[in-house]
Amino acid sequence: MSHRQARRWLILLLMVAAFAWLISNMWVWETALGYLFSQEAQVIHPRASLLVLVLEHLRLVAISSAMTVFIGVSLGVWATRPGGREFLPIITDITSFGQTFPPVAILALAVPMLGFGLLPTVAALFLYGLLPIVRNTIAGLDAVSGDLVGVAYGMGMSRTQTLFRVEVPLAASVIIAGLRISIVINIGTAMIGAVIGAGGLGSPIIAGLVQDNLAYIIEGALPAAMLAVLADQLLTGIEDSLKTGGD
Amino acid sequence: MIRLEKVTKSYGVTVAVSELSLEVNQGEVCMLIGPSGCGKTTTLRMVNRLTEPTSGRIFVDGQDTAHVRPEQLRRSMGYAIQGVGLFPHMTVSKNIAVVPHLLSWEKERIAQRIEELLSLVGLNPAEYAGKYPGQLSGGEAQRIGVARALAADPPILLMDEPFGAVDPMTRERLQAQFLRIQRSLKKTVIMVTHDLDEAIRLADRIAIMEAGRLVQHDTPEAVLSRPRNKFVHDFVGTDRALKRLSRISVSGFVRQSPSISISASVEEAAAACVRRRWVWVVDENQRLRGWIDRDSLHEVASVRESIVATDPEVIAVAETATLREALSRMLGQGLRSVPVVDDRGRLLGEVTVTDVENATAAREA
Ligand SMILES: Nc1ncnc2c1ncn2[C@@H]1O[C@H](COP(=O)(O)OP(=O)(O)OP(=O)(O)O)[C@@H](O)[C@H]1O
Ligand SMILES: [Mg+2]
Repeated sequence: MSHRQARRWLILLLMVAAFAWLISNMWVWETALGYLFSQEAQVIHPRASLLVLVLEHLRLVAISSAMTVFIGVSLGVWATRPGGREFLPIITDITSFGQTFPPVAILALAVPMLGFGLLPTVAALFLYGLLPIVRNTIAGLDAVSGDLVGVAYGMGMSRTQTLFRVEVPLAASVIIAGLRISIVINIGTAMIGAVIGAGGLGSPIIAGLVQDNLAYIIEGALPAAMLAVLADQLLTGIEDSLKTGGD
Repeated sequence: MIRLEKVTKSYGVTVAVSELSLEVNQGEVCMLIGPSGCGKTTTLRMVNRLTEPTSGRIFVDGQDTAHVRPEQLRRSMGYAIQGVGLFPHMTVSKNIAVVPHLLSWEKERIAQRIEELLSLVGLNPAEYAGKYPGQLSGGEAQRIGVARALAADPPILLMDEPFGAVDPMTRERLQAQFLRIQRSLKKTVIMVTHDLDEAIRLADRIAIMEAGRLVQHDTPEAVLSRPRNKFVHDFVGTDRALKRLSRISVSGFVRQSPSISISASVEEAAAACVRRRWVWVVDENQRLRGWIDRDSLHEVASVRESIVATDPEVIAVAETATLREALSRMLGQGLRSVPVVDDRGRLLGEVTVTDVENATAAREA
C-alpha cells in the first residue's frame, strides 16, 4: 500500500471514529441545537437516542443493500452470459422501472401486502437501488475485451474460472462504483421507512415536519448526510485501490 | 500430431474456412499465412475448439478433438495472441502461472518454472516477475506471451501473430529467439502471420490460404521456387531470391574484419588502413562505435576526431539476423559490408555483399 493510500485510509478511520463519537454523545447535540433553537421547548426527538436511530437506519440499509448487491450483481452477470443475453433488455427495463417508480409509491403498494415496518421498507429500498448495480455490472463485464476472454478460454479456463479470475476482477472497479451509487442513494431513501414505522433517522425528521420543529429535522438529516458521505468515501477508496492494482 | 480433415466453418452465408485439410508433424513449425480475412485465425481457433467446426474433423495425436473436453484439450496447447493477450490485472508471474495453476501444480514448482521461463525468453526474473503488463514494452509483453504459452510445457503451441505489434528490430530479435527456443524444445507449432518474411524464416512448412481454402502447403524453399498457382506466385512476389535470404542466418558468413580501438593513435589507424580504405572502430569493451576512412586521417590528431560515429542499431546486424537483413542494411547505408555484433553490441566481424551474392548463387544452383 502506498503512502498516499495509507493516509487516506487513516483519515477515513478518523472520520468514522468522529462520527461514532458524535452519535453516542447526545449532550453535544442537546447543547448545540439548544443554543441554535432556544425558542423550542425540546430539541431532541424523545423516541430514541441518535445511536439507536443510526443503528436502525443502518439495519435498513444493510439488509436492503445486501439484497440489491447480491441480486443485482447476479442479474448483471447472468445478463452477460450466453444463456441470459436474450433477457438483457427485460432486465434493464425492469430495473429502470424500479428506479423511476417513486419509493413512497412502492411503500403504499407494499403495505397492504407486507404490513407496516421493516419488510415493506426493505422491499422498496431493494427495488429502488437495483438499477445502478445491474447497470454497472453489465457495463463493467461488457467492457472486458472479448479477446482477453478468448485467451482465458484458450488457456483452458472454464466459464466459471474465466468469470471469477478474469472478468470480475477486470470489471470490479466499475461494479463497485455501482454499489457505491446504490448504497449512497439507499442511505438517503431509507428515511421514508419512518413513514410506516420502520424507524431510522427518518423518524425525527417526520416528527419535526409534523410538529414544525426544525431542530428535530436537523437531528435526523445531519447524521444521515454524514453517513452518506462516509459510505461514499469508503467505497470510493475501495474502488480506487482496485483501479491502481491493474496498471 | 495435428491433422485437420476437410474442416469447414461457416458463419451464416460467409464461409470462413472451406474443406481445409492440413497435417502438421510432431516438432514441426507450420506457418499459416494469407491475405486478411482468409480464415487463418478461424483455422487456428478450431484446433483448440475456441471455434467449433461446422463440419470436418480435427485430430490431435490421433484422437478426435471433438471427443476431448475443451478445457483439457486447451491445457495441453500453449496459446498466444497478438498484443492484448496478457491479463492486465495480473503480474507477469501470475500471468505465466495461469495454466500451471489450472493444472494444480505445487507452489514451488510454479515459482521455479516462472524463473526458468523468464530466463529462457531473456528477461531478468527478479526485475520482471512482479511487473504488470501495463509496465512492459511491446517486445517484452510479447516475450511474456510466449513464456506463458510455454508454461506447462505443452507439446503444441498455437500462436496468432505473436510478433505482430512490434517494430521491425524487436520483431527480428523475437524471431531469432523463437528459433533458438524451438530448436531446443521441438514443439509442434501452428503460427499465424501476415508477414511472408517471417513465415519463410520460421517455417518448416508454410500453409498458404486464400478465401478459406488451403492453396499450398510446402517447405519455404518449395513455395518460393515452385508456387502452385498464380495466387501463390503473386503472393510470394517477384523478389523470391531476396526472400530466400530470409532463411539464411548471418552467423555462417561472419568473417574477421580489421578494427581499431577508439583510443588508438593516428599512426596506428593509418597502419590498420593499409590493406583497405576503412576500418571499424570499437571502444575498450570491443563495442562498435563507428568507422574511420583512410582519407580523413591526414588532417586530424586522433582517431576520436575522424571517426564516423554510427548507431550500431542502424548499421550493424546481430549474428542471429538473416542475410536478407544484412543486405537491406548494406543497401540502406550504401555500404559493401556491414558489421556483425553480439547481443551486447560487441563487434564480431562483418558480412560483405560478395558473401550475400555467393549465398544466393549457391541456393539457385
Ligand atoms: N465470429 C464470427 N462471426 C461471423 N463471421 C466471422 C466470425 N469470425 C470470423 N468471421 C469471418 O470469417 C472470415 C475469416 O476470418 P478470420 O478471422 O479467420 O481471418 P484471418 O485470416 O485471421 O484475418 P486477419 O489476417 O485479418 O486476422 C472473415 O471473413 C470474417 O469476417
Ligand atoms: Mg486473424
